[in-house]
Amino acid sequence: MPGPDPFTFDVLVNYLLVGAALMALGMLGFLTRRNLIVMFLSAEMMLQGTALTLVAFGRYHGNWTGQVFTIVILTVAACEAAIALGLILVLFNRRESLDVTLWQDIREPGLPPVEEPSEEAEPIEPKPGPESYPHLTPAGLEPPHPSQPWEQRRD
Amino acid sequence: MFLRELDTVEMLQNALRNYGVPLAIRDLLLAVAVIVLGATGTFLLLPHRHGSVKPRRVHAAGGALVGLSILLLACFWTPPGSFQANLFFYAFGMAAVAGGILTITSRNPIYSALWFASVVLSTSGLFLLAGAQFLAAGTVIVYAGAIIVTFLFVIMLAQSQGQALYDRMARAPGRATLSCFLLLWGLMYALLVAQTIPLGQGQDSLAREKRLVRASQIVGFYRIQPSTNPAMVLNRANRPTSQLPQSQQSHVAGLGGTLYTDHLIAAELAGVLLFVALVGAVAIALPRVPGRPAGPPTAP
Repeated sequence: MPGPDPFTFDVLVNYLLVGAALMALGMLGFLTRRNLIVMFLSAEMMLQGTALTLVAFGRYHGNWTGQVFTIVILTVAACEAAIALGLILVLFNRRESLDVTLWQDIREPGLPPVEEPSEEAEPIEPKPGPESYPHLTPAGLEPPHPSQPWEQRRD
Repeated sequence: MFLRELDTVEMLQNALRNYGVPLAIRDLLLAVAVIVLGATGTFLLLPHRHGSVKPRRVHAAGGALVGLSILLLACFWTPPGSFQANLFFYAFGMAAVAGGILTITSRNPIYSALWFASVVLSTSGLFLLAGAQFLAAGTVIVYAGAIIVTFLFVIMLAQSQGQALYDRMARAPGRATLSCFLLLWGLMYALLVAQTIPLGQGQDSLAREKRLVRASQIVGFYRIQPSTNPAMVLNRANRPTSQLPQSQQSHVAGLGGTLYTDHLIAAELAGVLLFVALVGAVAIALPRVPGRPAGPPTAP
């Protein structure tokens, strides 16, 4: 019989704590953000948390089941990413915006619409000066500069 | 520590135990500190207007609170043993949680995608530390290599011009932070209680394993009624192909062996799922062929 497994219960709890933190943070991002892409990224983070928990338990119990199911989770995440991103592109082409509150009409019939005043948005701190361009190595003829440079930064 | 009188501490400890909380006061306070600091810091970091305070100060305060919360969370982790394992575990663990917070609070979706890539790399490192070498490589290839690149393509195609309003506004940040950190508190509490040495036992860590017996050490499974669910599950979990490789066996060969013998149906279903998703994505995303109106055919 080989020596005692170095993957003790305490080490298992380490991994489970990290998995729990990823899961809770993913849920927070999904509930909070309004950008469709960031919502979906948070959902993927939840899947990462569960995958970590599964692998840790599989290692603790000494069988492959955790890793096999994590492979299935990886497959599901890939499929979900493909379909969800296609759907996000279709929705963006309809309304020219990635805001999820534009699609509130598909909510449950009894609920009031969520209306948030735009004063609650974080103010942008404008960077001073006109937009600047990076200094890159010239790779050909210099194109004609615009007669009026951008007055407002785009980032 | 800061409570000088010993009997006050004892009294509090006994009161806690009588109410069914078997944690030490130090652990309880540390866990509460992690949750409260993390919740406050995340609430400050989420995109929201906080009165007339400048956003930079709010971000700095939120970042400091969240950083402190992650350091306190790292106090709960027991070091796995060797120096390298310790170093990498702490590095990957803290990077995963920090990357997670930065993902959900970034104003620019490209930054969110890149921080998510750092989360994926950190969890891949944690997989490697837990002995899942194929999964570590597979996660980097599939997640960080394919899924995140697809995200970046979609962000390129679905760009918003400049700082969009919806990127700077979070929906109900207070309520969401409260509920999600309550969930985290529940999970942390359950894990810490499970880690507590049961009263009356010795101080060695093997006593904690009595709370969660490893499946590989259940020897009496054949005494359970065969054909009941526990017997079938244990039978499947303890087959020779199901066991993790002991010492010199190849990792991927063992994973492949179990995937195609014990979990054959799951592997085939995953393939079918990929095919269905491919058909679905093509059906959703491609535009209608022009020149073919969708109305009913009119009489010529």
